[in-house]
Amino acid sequence: MPEREVTTRRLIFFGLSLVALAGLLFLPRVRSEYQLLTYTRFLILALMAQGWNLIGGFTGFAAFGNVGFFGIGAYTTGLLMISRWQIPFFPALACGAVLAGMVAVLIGLPVLRLKGHYFAIATLGVAEAFREIADTWDSVTQGSTGIDLPVRSEGDFFYYSALVLVILAIGATALLARSKIGYAWVAVREDQEAARMLGINTTAVKVIAFALSAVLAAMAGGLTAYQNIHVTPSDFFKLPYTLEMIIATVIGGVGTIFGPVIGAGVYTLLSNYVWGRFIELHPTVLGALIVFFVIFLPRGLMPLVGEMIRIARGQKQFRWRSLLSNVRAHRVT
Amino acid sequence: MSAAEFGQIAINAILLSGILALVALGFSLVWGIMNIVNLAHGAFVVLGAYTTYFLHELAGIDPFLSIPISMLVLFILGFGIQRTLINQIVRAPLLATFLLTFGLEILIVNLVNYFFKADLRSVTTSYTGTGIGVGSFRIPYIRLAALGLALLLVLLTAWFLRSTRYGRAIRATGMDVDAARLTGVKVGTIYALTYAIGASLAGAAGALLSMIVPFDPNVGGGYTERAFVICVLGGLGDLRNVVLGALVYAFVDVFVGSRLPALSQAFTFGALVLLLVLRPQGLAGKKSYA
Repeated sequence: MPEREVTTRRLIFFGLSLVALAGLLFLPRVRSEYQLLTYTRFLILALMAQGWNLIGGFTGFAAFGNVGFFGIGAYTTGLLMISRWQIPFFPALACGAVLAGMVAVLIGLPVLRLKGHYFAIATLGVAEAFREIADTWDSVTQGSTGIDLPVRSEGDFFYYSALVLVILAIGATALLARSKIGYAWVAVREDQEAARMLGINTTAVKVIAFALSAVLAAMAGGLTAYQNIHVTPSDFFKLPYTLEMIIATVIGGVGTIFGPVIGAGVYTLLSNYVWGRFIELHPTVLGALIVFFVIFLPRGLMPLVGEMIRIARGQKQFRWRSLLSNVRAHRVT
Repeated sequence: MSAAEFGQIAINAILLSGILALVALGFSLVWGIMNIVNLAHGAFVVLGAYTTYFLHELAGIDPFLSIPISMLVLFILGFGIQRTLINQIVRAPLLATFLLTFGLEILIVNLVNYFFKADLRSVTTSYTGTGIGVGSFRIPYIRLAALGLALLLVLLTAWFLRSTRYGRAIRATGMDVDAARLTGVKVGTIYALTYAIGASLAGAAGALLSMIVPFDPNVGGGYTERAFVICVLGGLGDLRNVVLGALVYAFVDVFVGSRLPALSQAFTFGALVLLLVLRPQGLAGKKSYA
């Protein structure tokens, strides 16, 4: 493709991003406090999904325990804020993120040796174990009663903090994806043995991805803790958080830079709509959504958007059959 | 711990292990043959329990007699699910089937919650709570019968896979899909059959469990996790390994449960991760399946 076209496309993309950013920046001016809460939830989900994407998307390890790091972030942030030293929010959040990253390294070293299903279930179990520890370690976490954080009620604060963190996370993902380590992640995902043969230190590469995903999850956890004020093991170590970040990433596009954010947006929109209409069947719709995406759009919306653009410009003809390409590639009859 | 106490705990563990083996049996079959970790397995167990419960409450059918009906219902459901949904993407990377069955689990559990509410239920018969006493030990009839039935179903399934035409087709497909297809096996149908058998065994387990422990729609996830741990402990590749895995699991569970109940998950999964790292093929499994 000619150099000029690439530049134009970059400019268009850049312009669109600026418009989106400006819209997001001015959102609190035009939205009510309650609606702002929904948007903040979207941003926090985007942050977690961006983290899951590093280990689950780029590196291809289906981590099912990221909620454990979410909880560690929430507890560390909360406990430091209410401790004797009354550490302010942002340093406390940073401590939570660093601690979660270190725990992820320790857990990751043995667990990342496992492959496939074994890894998935092991991480699921580790997160469950974290919950039990938080539940029983009364002297620190106050067990199932939980801890209370200082109250801060300005919606703007949480919204902008989340926005800044998401932008930083996207920037970091974009940089990493184009760096040596990003390529190493993809190499590990495609063929771990071959990657090792090429001289990639697969253990280090995997552990870094796992730790970074833990850091982002912990930040999301700390932010949610401060916003919710009250932190309990059952509210912060619960599986739905893990599921939401995976679903958001799958909807947007696994292993893409903007996929998780787009997926988080779509998921929050759908989720809100479903909550509003049929509250009791919310999980059913969620389950059906997962089934639909896994079968028809396993690579998410990002590639679909690209396809649409090509069709709109006449470079490709629209075919219903192309929607079935995944099924055709993987089915048995 | 006194000898008598130890004896009762050991008896409880052995009685528990039969039913756990049955829970894990269908899971192991589906995993070993199709490489699908079926996260909806626990939901099938729950559906089996509900089928038995309603047959008992509404039609007055004895829970032991309704086991075949529960199995049939789950067989049909499983066949349909594999045929219409999972078969479409069964060759996709692992995350796909993992997520797909997870979606199904959420969907089924929520629908059961919606229609039957989250009340804790159990099947109570005239012989519930009775048992035989051997010395100072107590053995409840239902648990003993459940142990026997579970072992019978394990042997029956193993025989079916070894000695019948369809069973051999299932094993052949598990070994090499393409080679099986070349010899005339209809892989899609065999996959559906495998999944259906897995689901019907889950249904049988649910039917037995409904008499032993109270259940609600949300207990399924716990049984999926246990099935997974048991399969890993025993190792894939031979269905009879689930009996060994279940025995080990039951002993650990009963002993840890009687000492440190709050940390039983942390302990179980810690041990599991350790085992996976040291011996990924399980205690008795063949290396090639791990």
